[in-house]
Amino acid sequence: MINRRTLLTAVAGTGALMAAPSILRAQGAGAGPIRIGALNPVTGSGSPYGSGMQKMILAAAEAVNAAGGAAGRPIEIIAEDTQTNPQAGVLAAKKLIEANKVQAILGTWSSGVSLAVIPLCNDAGIPLFHCSGAPALSTPPANAKGLGFRFQATNDRFGRAFAEICVKEGFKRPATMAFNNASGIGNTEGFRKAWEAKGGKVVESVVYEPNQSTYRSELMKVLAAQPDVIVTGSYLADTTILLREWFQSGQPVRWIIPGWAANPDLIKALGPEVTEDIISVDSVSNEGSPAYAQYDAAYQKAMNQPGSANVYAAMTWDMVNVLALAIEAAGSADMAAVVPKLREVGNPPGTVVSSFAEGKAALKNGKINYDGASSVLDFDQYGDVTPDFGAYFIKGGKLERRYIVKI
Amino acid sequence: MEAYLVAIAIVALIYVLLALGLTLQYGFTGLINFGHVGFFAIGAYTSAILAMNGLPLVLSFAAGTIVAGLAAWPIGLIALRLRDDYFAIVTLGFSETVRLVITSEKWLTNGVQGIPAIPRMFAGISVGSLASFAVLAVLLVVTIVAILGMGRIVKSPFGRIIEAIRDNEDAVKALGKDPARFKVQVLILGSGLAGLAGAFYAHYITYIVPDQFIPLVTFYVWMAIIIGGVGRVSGAVVGTVLLMVLLEGSRFIRDVMPFISDVEMASVRLGVIGLLLILFTIYRPQGLMGDFTRR
Repeated sequence: MINRRTLLTAVAGTGALMAAPSILRAQGAGAGPIRIGALNPVTGSGSPYGSGMQKMILAAAEAVNAAGGAAGRPIEIIAEDTQTNPQAGVLAAKKLIEANKVQAILGTWSSGVSLAVIPLCNDAGIPLFHCSGAPALSTPPANAKGLGFRFQATNDRFGRAFAEICVKEGFKRPATMAFNNASGIGNTEGFRKAWEAKGGKVVESVVYEPNQSTYRSELMKVLAAQPDVIVTGSYLADTTILLREWFQSGQPVRWIIPGWAANPDLIKALGPEVTEDIISVDSVSNEGSPAYAQYDAAYQKAMNQPGSANVYAAMTWDMVNVLALAIEAAGSADMAAVVPKLREVGNPPGTVVSSFAEGKAALKNGKINYDGASSVLDFDQYGDVTPDFGAYFIKGGKLERRYIVKI
Repeated sequence: MEAYLVAIAIVALIYVLLALGLTLQYGFTGLINFGHVGFFAIGAYTSAILAMNGLPLVLSFAAGTIVAGLAAWPIGLIALRLRDDYFAIVTLGFSETVRLVITSEKWLTNGVQGIPAIPRMFAGISVGSLASFAVLAVLLVVTIVAILGMGRIVKSPFGRIIEAIRDNEDAVKALGKDPARFKVQVLILGSGLAGLAGAFYAHYITYIVPDQFIPLVTFYVWMAIIIGGVGRVSGAVVGTVLLMVLLEGSRFIRDVMPFISDVEMASVRLGVIGLLLILFTIYRPQGLMGDFTRR
């Protein structure tokens, strides 16, 4: 029988063991490698993307180090998991900032986590590169110091792309259905604003709750308004249920669905008949670019899947490259000097480069403009990028890209 | 480094407050409350919304505590009719209802967008680490007061009656006491503590959104008091601290053992907690600080 004292001693000892090595490690911060935090949704609802995102940060850092490092110093990545949960994200960020002394945090994914982590980055004076959609991340108070940089399109921009496609396809009576979270509603509200600005009218809009086994009543309400197209802000699981129940209803209507929901997994789940002619809209990774080819090769190697399977991994790949180029341009890892350089190396004018090695060489001859794997990566005054959007039509079980929408 | 430890300590103490409330409800009175997070959410949102509208933090904290306590009133009335499992179901439903109301009432809570930039405690102290030390100090004082207060309650005649309700409600009735009244009081007290914890949480994390108030939080608190020992005030404290060490300490294992990838680490962390819970229920059902005087 274990008595209370032995158990408590064992527990305290384990705790001390866990904490000790990191205290020792923290002593060496400041000299040697530049430490960068990778804070990704490895578990929780972001888990389909998180580990790919993290591996691409590591792979890109390896490429930077192979090219001699940034400003003469190698980059060391310290990886953490947000669990797609703000509280866990805050603690992980505190650990990265305080215990590991990182100079930047890369790759938070859900808006909730990014909004919770960005005040810590503001306090520490280090940049946060994220893939979140929430508009609140662009402006004060969240982005009061201009340290937040968004590598994903805002939900608002997605909505605008939906509206452009509606016009192009000649739809007259759109309805919207949104998953009840910041991202889902952001998409459909962005669409409504853009559509009403064009003089149109949304015939019905429904917000539905997550994790239900049926959405029939919500669907019936929307279909009763006789829309010619339904625009959604939805995820894979609920979209699967929505489309199945719609198909059973037999009422003809078209669908415009964001790309993270209308993907090959959806077609696999429902079959080509149900998904025929659905329009899937996604920000287009900069697929023709040399940067994308390098990213794609790295992603294949790490994840054994094509790079197009994870748009967010392309973003994290770019995060490391842009940051490393900015450090190189600033000549030091002092973030006060590096952050203003981010726009300089990302935006035109300048020699177009597509990798750190290329950019490092070109920097010797003047200004550069990094064109990334995820987009051409030009930051506006809020630190947001405006990627292009692709309209993909599902034909015979395959996603076919018909055209690119620029907003 | 110390700022990180302070951060962990603050979150741990917030969970200690939650665990104390649940210990009072389940450990001493036998009320199976699966909706603890609902009161936590009510405290967090009440205090955050009032503070955003300019109320001083001292008052908004008090309001968060009181509103959460009052929200337990109707649940308490239901508890008069229900026992054990049925009460557990009702409370679980209550916490989900709270979350859905918060999600839907956009005019008040900003819905799924959440409330960003909630004022911090000690915002006047501009030096970051000093402010968090101050928060920690305040939390520590509040927690100690709560622990001492609970110790007093448990030793009082009131405490003996609620323990009697847990052990044999019919006997208490036969003695001419009204268990219902005591149950309602216990629920209000425990939920008030959860509300206070919520207020601390909102003003420390500075961003709240309905996704943070899922039943998982309730079950973390349950894990903590099961590991620590139900029916002991010290159990709530030890269990919570141990759970935090497990959840947070596992981050550092990777710094020593880099060959474990993050994906594996996340699974290992959950696995260890699950294993620990099973081992505890088999070998030490009373928990670490369990009450060995009984049975």
